[in-house]
Amino acid sequence: MVEIKGFLETSFIDWKGKLCSVLFLPHCNFRCPYCHNHPLILHPEQYESIPLEAIFNRLHSLRDWIDGICLTGGEPTLHPELPLLALEIKKQGFQVKLDTNGSHPQMLKRLIEERLVDYISMDIKAPLDPFSYRRSAGVSVNIESLWRSIEILKEEKVDYEFRMTVVPELHTMEDLLLLGHQVRPGPRIVLQNFNPENPLDPSLRKTPPFDPLLLKEMEKTLQKMV
Amino acid sequence: MKEEFETTDMALFVRTSEESMHGWDRQRIVDALLRETYVDLDTAREIAKEVEDLILTSKIKMITAPLIRELVDTKLIERGLEQARKMHTRLGMPLYDVDQLILHPNKENANVPHGPEATNLTLAERIKKEYALLSVFSEEIADAHMRGDIHLHDLGFIDRPYCGGQSLEYIKRFGLSLPNSIALAKPAKHPEVLLAHMVKFAAALQSHFAGAIGWDAVNIFFAPYLVGMSDRELEQLAQMMIFEFSQQAVARGGQAIFTDLNLYWEIPKHFEKVPAIGPGGEMTGKTYSEYIEEAQRFVWALFDVFKEGDGSGRPFFFPKPLVHITEKFFQTPRHMEFLYHISEVASEKGNTYYVFDRGETAKISECCRLSFKLEQSDFEDAQQPWKMRYCALQNVTLNLPRIAYLAKGDDTKLFSKITEFMELAVKAHLEKKQFIEKLLSLGEKGPLALLAMKRDGTPYLRMDRATFLIGMVGLNELVQIHTGQEMHQSKQAFKFGLKVIAHMKLLVEKLSERHRMRFVLEQTPAESTAYRFAKLDLKYHSPKSGYIVKGDLSRGEVYYTNSTHLNVSAPINPIERVKQEGLFHPLIEAGALTHLWIGEAKPSKESIANFVIKTFRQTQNDQIAFSPEFTTCNACHRTSRGLQAYCSYCGSKEVDGITRITGYFTKLSSWNKGKMGELRNRYRNQAFIETRGGETVLLA
Amino acid sequence: MELIKVFTKSKCPKCPPVKEIAQELKKEGLVVFHYDLDTMDGLAEASFRGILSTPSLVIEDEEEKEIASWRGIVPTLQEVKRYISKRGP
Repeated sequence: MVEIKGFLETSFIDWKGKLCSVLFLPHCNFRCPYCHNHPLILHPEQYESIPLEAIFNRLHSLRDWIDGICLTGGEPTLHPELPLLALEIKKQGFQVKLDTNGSHPQMLKRLIEERLVDYISMDIKAPLDPFSYRRSAGVSVNIESLWRSIEILKEEKVDYEFRMTVVPELHTMEDLLLLGHQVRPGPRIVLQNFNPENPLDPSLRKTPPFDPLLLKEMEKTLQKMV
Repeated sequence: MKEEFETTDMALFVRTSEESMHGWDRQRIVDALLRETYVDLDTAREIAKEVEDLILTSKIKMITAPLIRELVDTKLIERGLEQARKMHTRLGMPLYDVDQLILHPNKENANVPHGPEATNLTLAERIKKEYALLSVFSEEIADAHMRGDIHLHDLGFIDRPYCGGQSLEYIKRFGLSLPNSIALAKPAKHPEVLLAHMVKFAAALQSHFAGAIGWDAVNIFFAPYLVGMSDRELEQLAQMMIFEFSQQAVARGGQAIFTDLNLYWEIPKHFEKVPAIGPGGEMTGKTYSEYIEEAQRFVWALFDVFKEGDGSGRPFFFPKPLVHITEKFFQTPRHMEFLYHISEVASEKGNTYYVFDRGETAKISECCRLSFKLEQSDFEDAQQPWKMRYCALQNVTLNLPRIAYLAKGDDTKLFSKITEFMELAVKAHLEKKQFIEKLLSLGEKGPLALLAMKRDGTPYLRMDRATFLIGMVGLNELVQIHTGQEMHQSKQAFKFGLKVIAHMKLLVEKLSERHRMRFVLEQTPAESTAYRFAKLDLKYHSPKSGYIVKGDLSRGEVYYTNSTHLNVSAPINPIERVKQEGLFHPLIEAGALTHLWIGEAKPSKESIANFVIKTFRQTQNDQIAFSPEFTTCNACHRTSRGLQAYCSYCGSKEVDGITRITGYFTKLSSWNKGKMGELRNRYRNQAFIETRGGETVLLA
Repeated sequence: MELIKVFTKSKCPKCPPVKEIAQELKKEGLVVFHYDLDTMDGLAEASFRGILSTPSLVIEDEEEKEIASWRGIVPTLQEVKRYISKRGP
């Protein structure tokens, strides 16, 4: 079974409109310099694994409150047993949300086809070209896979959103516009401001985030790109 | 001793408090002693002579009246005339203290700004506080307060009731005719005028109450004035209302009026069939149910203003909007839309208070969180809503951890000590009641003329409906001292906490019956009390207390957990917090509240609404509020989310944090040390948690 | 085995019938706890269970988890028994 390294019992922010619990899974194939869950990616062994049973026991007393469970990481789709985990959660009567970077389209396809997931939030790191992506994701990325994932989501067989964390050091307003033209996300895109507290690349700590009002404007512009 | 009438040709001048200098006259001492104390003429003369001799031998040239008084007092002490010395006491402050006060801000109440008016307020409060402890309360009560067994709130406002709940219907019907005022205003004909009356009346009330002024069903009572108004006009009115109340920092002592606006989306059952009062104080011939549209448009507009925030995007500190949610709310069209609207404000700015009136209860909120359930007689009053004026006369808080130190682990002793402390609180209430009644008996010519006025045949302040609050601080620490575990650490510990409050609840019922007064438990906001008790226990119950008080000892930022709350730093998820803390709420009649510190995170309005509905349906919790945190920049005057060390817009370090202290928002720079300690500890549901219980490990 | 918890008040007119049901269940060998809301322990236990009105009857399992409850109402003996597992003669 997938190892679970963190468990947040209640979240108001990880699933719009819902109250959810969040499970953190270890490891990631990306090395985004602004990642703030990096200990989970670089040193997952320092956290004890939490047995799924313990989590379900705990959730039992919250079941009238919690609508669903958000699987995040790390990158959950790296784990071949992910469908099994999702199935177990479904059996308990909770909905499932998946956070992913979109690098494993075949896993997304499977989860959707087997109806193991109710909502997918796909992170987009940069305009979809190898150079930009390498800069933002910290490693070389197969852009084809990302496109595949985007297409799968756009088939609308499951509820989804695209999410992008905007970092002043890495992204310009032009990048965002370019991305908008490429993906044509419509109202499904959400922009999220960079949080300078404890990023993977310590040099980013000095970077002040974007002006929130400007970002909101930009989000509106992107949401109009259909 | 025989030459009593000899004249002394002392070339000595006395500086008196009447800003004049008098030549030395021994007789003045005699006169004062005879006027103020019970000493006989011979003793008075002897003392006067002795003081004169003392001054003579000291060869002072200029002497002040306070010094003479102190010298006289030492003579009274030498004679063992303790009572006379007490009566002869001078109230005042040392030069150094006044100097400090004028130069530095007061941190006892973060709602007091720093300025000449504020200094006046503090100076006056100091003297009245001394007066209260010396003259209004018995020695037993005064000592218990000084020791920190109990806390008598707002002693500096001894000559006023504590807080009050008002009805707009009173000024709608009777206009604004205040005692001592030279002009009388007839009932308002236009909404702007009604608002002006409300604001002026609020200011007048603020100077007659120590604490909060709450207004019932504001949007409903305004509604008959709003018929036919355009959206733009309504928006303007809503803006005026909120800015007027948020900027009343020119009132008493430069303090903003602590204002609560109670609001409804539905017309609650008890007002459904009530005849509406409209422009000019006339009955409109309709009931309030028929004004639901106007009431809803107005409350919507008010929240539009809260969402915007002030000129620099900060949340409004006052007035506080309390939205009552009843069963009928859920049967009222467009309630979800409204719930999203107010939840967006809760997420963006944090202002919204959700008050849950389940079943048949209806509640009025008077002070920051003091509300009470309406009884049968109140429902009758609701037919004539101008009668719905309530007050809490005083608030006395028990130092629960102190009781546990004294009980030394013995159950019987613990519960009998609680009873003993409760009886102290009751005695304090009786003493204050007697004092206020004395002031009120002077009627419209007395100091509390406003509260004695009888526009509707009964005095404005309805003493028979007065509530006497008994609060508590540090239930969590009491349980910790007594059982070894904090309330969130085990079921046994939590149940023990419930047992303590159940005991107190049964006791207030018994005491109410015995004294025919309404004693009611409340959750003390304890802005400074939690700090004061912790400091005093560090002094009297060390070393044990050193392991118990929360906060940071080395910084002096210590506190006890407020009222019946769970440890603010415990990683308890918000669901459990509202559930668990809510179990206390039915026992605490005068309103109770659970805070959810959301910090930097900005949840979606839908998620907040989701949580609110579940809290209404699945818990006993009375009231919740979400508290975000902000950083406001003193350089560029913009406001950003979260508590930051520098401005995220311009990078300036000249920033100040803003969040809820107890029942209201303020700037952190005005907080006392105890609350700073609490702030550092507040658990904001951010970190993820590995295991639960005693061994909780926070990651990330 | 199930636990029966009965919450009553001395002056409540509807309470005696529930006390009778409790008596009956006790005769059948069930463990029955009585809580009087006019006492500190009773009121504390009622608060813990979120019980605001009397009479109330709660059936719990061995871990004190609630199986069924009647709050502020009087159930019939049959209704209560429906939630109690069958045991040997």
